[in-house]
Amino acid sequence: MYHTLLPTLFESPPLVTDSLVELRSLTKRFGDFVAIDDVSLHIGAGEFLTLLGASGSGKTTTLRMIAGFEQPTAGEIWMDGRPIHFLPPYKRNINTVFQNYALFPHMSVWDNVSYGLRMRHVAKPEITERVGQVLEMVHLEQLARRAPRQLSGGQQQRVALARALVNRPKVLLLDEPLGALDLKLRKEMQLELKHLQTQVGITFVYVTHDQEEALTMSNRIALMRAGRIEQLGSPQDIYDRPATRYVADFIGETNLLPARVASPVPAGSGRVTLIVDGQPLLAPAPASATSAGQEVWLSVRPEGMSLVNGATPGDHNVLDGTVEEGIYAGSLTKLRLRLKDGATLVLHLGPSDHAVPVGRTARVAWPVDHGVCLVG
Amino acid sequence: MTAGATWLDRFRSKPRVRTALAAALPVGWVTTFLFLPYLLLLMHSLWKLDDNQMIVHQWTLASYRRLFTTAVYPSTIWFSAKIALSVTLLSLFLAFPLAYLLAFKVKRHKNLMYMAVIIPLWVSYLVRAYAWKIILGQEGILNGLLAQAGLIHRPLEFLLYSKWAVIIALTHIYTPFTLMPIYAVLEAIPNSLKEASQDLYAGRWNTFRHVILPLSLPGVLAGCTFAFVLSMGDFIAPQLLGGNDSALMVSNVVVSLFGVAYNWPLGAAVSVVMLVIVVSLLTLANRLERRFNYRGETAAARKTDALAAIATEARA
Repeated sequence: MYHTLLPTLFESPPLVTDSLVELRSLTKRFGDFVAIDDVSLHIGAGEFLTLLGASGSGKTTTLRMIAGFEQPTAGEIWMDGRPIHFLPPYKRNINTVFQNYALFPHMSVWDNVSYGLRMRHVAKPEITERVGQVLEMVHLEQLARRAPRQLSGGQQQRVALARALVNRPKVLLLDEPLGALDLKLRKEMQLELKHLQTQVGITFVYVTHDQEEALTMSNRIALMRAGRIEQLGSPQDIYDRPATRYVADFIGETNLLPARVASPVPAGSGRVTLIVDGQPLLAPAPASATSAGQEVWLSVRPEGMSLVNGATPGDHNVLDGTVEEGIYAGSLTKLRLRLKDGATLVLHLGPSDHAVPVGRTARVAWPVDHGVCLVG
Repeated sequence: MTAGATWLDRFRSKPRVRTALAAALPVGWVTTFLFLPYLLLLMHSLWKLDDNQMIVHQWTLASYRRLFTTAVYPSTIWFSAKIALSVTLLSLFLAFPLAYLLAFKVKRHKNLMYMAVIIPLWVSYLVRAYAWKIILGQEGILNGLLAQAGLIHRPLEFLLYSKWAVIIALTHIYTPFTLMPIYAVLEAIPNSLKEASQDLYAGRWNTFRHVILPLSLPGVLAGCTFAFVLSMGDFIAPQLLGGNDSALMVSNVVVSLFGVAYNWPLGAAVSVVMLVIVVSLLTLANRLERRFNYRGETAAARKTDALAAIATEARA
């Protein structure tokens, strides 16, 4: 009995079960401009996948190709083991929540939400039941008779969500759905959306340029840059182990210190010695092999570092710098230091750290594993 | 100091006076060129015509009585309305597909195509009306082509100098007026609404029927109102192209009442009735347009919002 139950009880569910949507070498050109450059991606059933990137990185174009609003120039999109990239949007079991909601202004909330079911000729009683359910789920049952323009931004956003979810699609595409809301409401909706997604179990493909939003909500993040996926991984992967300098810089705050490799290291080996600010420091070795003297970057998050007095804790890197500025930012205080070679270093002071006066020298330490050696 | 405090300073200190002075010109303009002429028209329609066809300044409803009891006047109004309705429907059937193509299908040279529709408006009305004489006449281009094609042996006479010629010419002249507002509303429909409709399983036809068409109604109404009102009041095209049928158009009747018949009171009465009809139509169209205008705040929406606000406050 026990050994059949135990694994299911204690193993956390895998992030990706089966691949539901598959992008195969997807390419999209607009004239000479390559918007999407040979992108391949598996999206799992029930997954919350975020396409994250700056504007022009190709995230929205990717989403629009999955929805069927754009045709790929090359490559294929598969869903449920069948190619779908040649199907018009209305023949795909996919629904979209649009950036500005795109609610039909001439229809009530009810008519907006029931639109998809009516177009598919679902029986009247079933429409009534399903629309009622979904409106209840997004707390809009009182506003069913209202016109969209009589609703607040947050309410319109919920209508857009209900209008898509009522169709029980296999995949829900969301194109910066919270972009038009103010900060407080956006934070609330992030959690609400995440809960909703877990509750209904529908695969969400979510487009945003807001890295914090991506980190909060996603199972996996595909960080896009210039039409390619720069890095694909769980939020923690991407945050703690950025693959490139671009990713480290894009996600969260980080210190990017110019470094030089002291001795050659084969691929996948334990640690690498780097020369930073004239001092030898250790970092986990990068995935690719590095040669001696190679110019690289050492990335350390501000919250991964702390001030030390005198004695160096074991397995830590230590750097000295001159305090330039203390920045009070509400929940934390940031300290900016200048190193001997001119590079700056920002760290977050913990509650036990004492502020160091400007102009004094401070010693900063961080565990070796908190640093990331970035080759590209 | 006191010398400087002239009338100008007193004027500056009185915002009411300033407002009055600023409003004087437009109000004066409207009064002189719109309000007074209409008043004059109304007065004429209520004055008496004596046996020598002279206007006597005595109030009477005689002209109105004659207008409504003589069959010819209501029937000309009715005939004009029918012509105007035909023109309106024809214009709509031409303008809507064209506006649709321009707004959604044409990608390149869009402005050029739009200008091609608008440019005829720059050509004198008379030239456009005369052009139809050349096309539709017995020796005209159309008859010539039909004869050359061997389809007819004698020129078709009903083409020119008939209500058909009037309808064709007026349709040609007023179609751009119908097209412009329709094009404007279609252009304003965001692409995302069409995509949302497609995303929700509606094909092209359903998207047109449930999204594009309802959203285009304000423009359709505005365009139809233009075509109807303008062609109902038109008298030059009927005069040039209508032949005997032109006598049945109400504006031509008004022209002859004022001119040949020298019966100004009756002419004025017909004009006033026409004015009432047109203004009622415009008001109705305006109401409907607002009813279908989902973007703008309608009176009903404002009322609901106010009620909602009161309800929220009451709860708080």
